[in-house]
Amino acid sequence: MSAPTYGRAYWVALTIGAGVMAYGGIGLVGDTGVGPSGDVAVWLVGADVGHDFVIAPLACFIGAAVARVLPRSCRAPVQAALLTSGVLLLVVFPALRGFGRDQVPDNPSVQPLDYTTATLTALAVVWAGAAVWLTVRIVTAARGTRRPPTRATPGGHPTSPR
Amino acid sequence: MAEQTTPGIFTSTLRDERNAAILGAALGVTFTVCFVTGVLSHLIQDPPSWFQWPSRPAGLYRLTQGVHVATGLASIPLLLAKLWVVFPKLFAWPPFTSVAHLVERLAIFPLVAGGVFELFTGLADTHIWYPWPFNFRAAHYWVAWITIGALIVHLGAKWTATRAALFARDAPDASLGVAQRPSDTHRGTSAFDRRTFLATVFGAASAVTLFTVGQTVAPLRKIALLAPRRPDTGPQGFPVNRTAATAGVVQSARDPGYRLTVDGKVRRSLVFTRDELRALPQHEATLPISCVEGWSTTQRWRGVRVRDLLDRAGADSGAEVRVHSLQRRRAYRFSDLNRWHAHDPDTLLALEVNGEPLDLDHGYPLRLIGPNRPGVMQTKWVTRLAVQ
Repeated sequence: MSAPTYGRAYWVALTIGAGVMAYGGIGLVGDTGVGPSGDVAVWLVGADVGHDFVIAPLACFIGAAVARVLPRSCRAPVQAALLTSGVLLLVVFPALRGFGRDQVPDNPSVQPLDYTTATLTALAVVWAGAAVWLTVRIVTAARGTRRPPTRATPGGHPTSPR
Repeated sequence: MAEQTTPGIFTSTLRDERNAAILGAALGVTFTVCFVTGVLSHLIQDPPSWFQWPSRPAGLYRLTQGVHVATGLASIPLLLAKLWVVFPKLFAWPPFTSVAHLVERLAIFPLVAGGVFELFTGLADTHIWYPWPFNFRAAHYWVAWITIGALIVHLGAKWTATRAALFARDAPDASLGVAQRPSDTHRGTSAFDRRTFLATVFGAASAVTLFTVGQTVAPLRKIALLAPRRPDTGPQGFPVNRTAATAGVVQSARDPGYRLTVDGKVRRSLVFTRDELRALPQHEATLPISCVEGWSTTQRWRGVRVRDLLDRAGADSGAEVRVHSLQRRRAYRFSDLNRWHAHDPDTLLALEVNGEPLDLDHGYPLRLIGPNRPGVMQTKWVTRLAVQ
């Protein structure tokens, strides 16, 4: 890739963006709810480092491992279902662990479900979709259509409601 | 011209400019929506002198805050996928090729840190889970400004490349980082083509929405499997954010000596017992209670109109009101009714919900309920209207 070029629009955006960032930064440090203690800075850096050096390598590793183990025909549905499952688990993990609920023991309307069952149900829907997708792929491939395998179900996708 | 190279370990052909552009454009939209709805919510809760939030339409705040939370949740897979696509760029060598490029790359740090921070803290807040030592609302608000500023810089840097990648449909896929090596297309490990990859990412975002949005969209409540709230679950059939015990008002709310006082800039101060309030003309309103954390639910409330009380006390027709709770501590022990909210015919001090006296956790003996207000400003256990 050739080196990026920067026009006048970039410098205008940089000026505006830097101003907005400065407003946020000054507000952050000046707000008594946050203050200059540096806790937020730790969390901000932690958010970036946590993604770049924990979540991202882990995701790449799992993806590569799955790609290595599975036959090529299975990969797309399984990887799609894995990605979707991972995201759903991220969204529900505070409820799975009871984080939040444990701070308000007298309020049963917070996280009112049995989240193990609820999460397994949601994941079952995702993997059932992936199974249907995979079956369609295999059947289509067995019929000897000469289309590339990933085109076997255009738009097909484990979580799109049919 | 100097060129950067990225480590050869990243072989997926999905990590290209077009996928980065498509996901980037989607995130540009979702982050902007979250920013605008978030700033709006902040202004409503803490209005500066130039800002007056209307009391109508009654369900507007429910919509904007529902959109804020749903959009933030749906952004989680979009952001992760975007970062996966551009991940090799983190290791590009040399790190920068010009001063402008260095500045662009430095601005990516607040963008990524802020984006991940906002989505994580927002998600945790929907669970009322606060594993950090700072105030959520202040941090979430100010970091939003930092993030959106970094996004503006990023858009400025990527505008031309993004447009080109979005609209030049037949352009050859330029792999990120290095000029494409001839062998790359054969070494690619991905089983996805572009369409399948993007369908998966947007499908994951749809799945998140489908399994959580029922916390505010009542018809979908039964499939809100991953939401921290059900709009039909709680005392009297709907959720509670802060219980009477947590607020420390169990004794005072049940005290037979309970009184509502109307005072401040009035011609005559008034004091009511609960029975006296019940004897006043009652009004019924079907209104949503729309929590800042993203759940909402519509209920049938019954009680005394605030404006009737203001008229009885002889307050000005343009009067504003501070509504005080029995609650002694915390930021939300009172809330303000601006001119429109104070005089809206549906702004009530409710004694009943769905035909029953309010549950203690819903604000017994008396709670404020009005159209188009955040849940935290529907003050519970009301004991005083201070006319300003």
